[in-house]
Amino acid sequence: MLASLQHTSIAPEDEALRGLVRAFLRDVLRDVPAPVRAKSWMGYDPAFSRALGQQGWLGLTLSQAYGGAGRSAMARYVLVEELLNAGAPVGSHWIADRQSAPLILKYGTEAQKQRYLPAICRGESFFCIGMSEPNAGSDLASVKTRAIPTEHGGQAGWRLNGQKIWTSNAHNCHYMIALVRTSGEAADRQKGLSQVIVDLSLPGVTVRPIKDLTGDSQFCEVFFDDVALRADALIGLEGGGWAQVTAELAFERSGPERIYSSMVLFDEWLAWIRTPEGKSPESARLAGKLFSQLAPLRAMSIAVTDKIVNGESPVVEAALVKDLGVTLEQLMPTAIADDLFSRDANKVPLALLQSLAYVTKVAPSFSLRGGTRDILRGMIARGLGLR
Amino acid sequence: MDEIFTKALQDLLSAHCAPSVVRAVEAQGLQDKTSSAATDLWQAIADSGFANAMVPESHGGAGLSMAEAFALFELCGRFVVPLPLAETMVARAWAAKRSLAAPQAWVDLDWVDATARTMPQLPGLDAGLDTQALRAAVVAAQMAGALQRVLEMTLNFANERQQFGRALGKFQAIQHQLALMAEQTLAARMAAQMGCAGFAGLGAAHLGSPDDAQTDRLRAGIAKARASEAAVVVTDLAHSIHGAIGFTDAFDLQLFTRGLHAWRQSAGSESYWHQQIGDALVNQHTGRAIDSLRAATDAPNLPDTSR
Repeated sequence: MLASLQHTSIAPEDEALRGLVRAFLRDVLRDVPAPVRAKSWMGYDPAFSRALGQQGWLGLTLSQAYGGAGRSAMARYVLVEELLNAGAPVGSHWIADRQSAPLILKYGTEAQKQRYLPAICRGESFFCIGMSEPNAGSDLASVKTRAIPTEHGGQAGWRLNGQKIWTSNAHNCHYMIALVRTSGEAADRQKGLSQVIVDLSLPGVTVRPIKDLTGDSQFCEVFFDDVALRADALIGLEGGGWAQVTAELAFERSGPERIYSSMVLFDEWLAWIRTPEGKSPESARLAGKLFSQLAPLRAMSIAVTDKIVNGESPVVEAALVKDLGVTLEQLMPTAIADDLFSRDANKVPLALLQSLAYVTKVAPSFSLRGGTRDILRGMIARGLGLR
Repeated sequence: MDEIFTKALQDLLSAHCAPSVVRAVEAQGLQDKTSSAATDLWQAIADSGFANAMVPESHGGAGLSMAEAFALFELCGRFVVPLPLAETMVARAWAAKRSLAAPQAWVDLDWVDATARTMPQLPGLDAGLDTQALRAAVVAAQMAGALQRVLEMTLNFANERQQFGRALGKFQAIQHQLALMAEQTLAARMAAQMGCAGFAGLGAAHLGSPDDAQTDRLRAGIAKARASEAAVVVTDLAHSIHGAIGFTDAFDLQLFTRGLHAWRQSAGSESYWHQQIGDALVNQHTGRAIDSLRAATDAPNLPDTSR
């Protein structure tokens, strides 16, 4: 049986970060309109990422030896919560900060840590995740991209061939951490998979953005055609890729981004239904409903982070919070649309309608990225002892 | 809170509040306080001292706060205790802190309301005591216990019941329904725990400020609304997975699912509290929702659960 999550508090030293972040964002985002902020972590701005780096807020949990701030996962929770609620364009550094840096810190050699981590913390090095392939989506263990060990003039390395797809932001990233086969055959499944860091500027790498239904070109397909990698492109254990990816997904699923994707829209709408023109009993009731679902989710999300602070790996709990969280994230645009279009929509501010239009379109991705509903519910079932 | 308390109440209820007792009390009703099933159960509870769990130690109780008593309320729900034990705990604490005598029998928060009305109006004495919110918090905590019990019963049933040559729980459709039940149950439990986090105003010595009272009410409303929403999903799926056996009078599931519906219908349904919370958000709160969320979520005085 799943252990319950305990209501817990954020320590004052972690909470203390909130005011600083808020003051910084108030300044930086002053002129950014709501429909742009509504993109949440799908908004990209390298200059913003560098500015965050200058504040010391990238790689917050990494030790100072690697350019980080040596803060706790809960301090990062406070930082990220403020970034997401403000609608800051965090997309450029998002993956590097959230999961690539912790992965390199955990599995990398000293040389790899020195090479990649300080640049991530400065907001100068952006990463993407090479997991999905055309025939390997939820069934991730069936990846076919292959790195073959090579040797040229006494120099060991890898030759990489294959294709990744649905890679968020690959066209704006410097590196991809890719899950590839380094030994065995497809039938070996999880065995023989490894992770390699691919410099996306190398010859033989082709990145093609794919236009999504919102009109943005946010994810990409990435082709590898005889790409020559150095031996130290391998991160972690050869053949240990599956375990590493699983650990990485716990970071990917546990954060506050799984409850706040529609928050800018919610706040815009809340501001409108507080005005004499927008106020109605029905909209207040709906606000109460959405809020009363969000509040326990925040407490659960903090409880999961608390487990991470205590050195646990709450994989199942993170899956549970994510599935509940994205359900609410997806309810927000549909319920808000129902409220706004149950009356004279001509009076609704344009920025609110534009935010709603964007979030309505992007919402289906909430329950795809980081594991589909069915994959997550399967994980919860395993946590319940059913598998 | 010491787990000893929880363990002791669990043992007591296992021994004295089996489903057969719940059925007997229900058959005889509560109006007649001499009915044997109810008085036998109450006698066992009274002997154990649990009705005084929240009474200050100086008055002979265990001095538990609402946050600490949450685990006991949860157990009352887990066993669908057919007496208002949880409300009696709260009412007795309220009375003791005001040096009032509480009845020997069980009472509910209506007694607190009625007693408070007869008291001389001392300025500020009842500030922070919102019996409607208290009732919501106590009911939500019991619902959290019952939801967990229903989830466990359904998990056990799915593991035991064989159809098409394998356990029901091996079918993906059933697994996903159980995953949904777990999601709703854990969310409701977290909300219910939040709902009991405050209410320092229960003690006359620690009168809550009006701000605290508003936050207590917000948290209690969230707790009751979320638990009521969860009850609909969890009872629906539990009966669906159990099939016809779960619909019988003899099978225990119905005690818990009917209990959940009864609790949902008391102390304000989800829409009542959605309206209350929404009106506060729209008319009293200002600024972005994150700060209202923090007020609702961040625990004021958490019990030390690390022990």
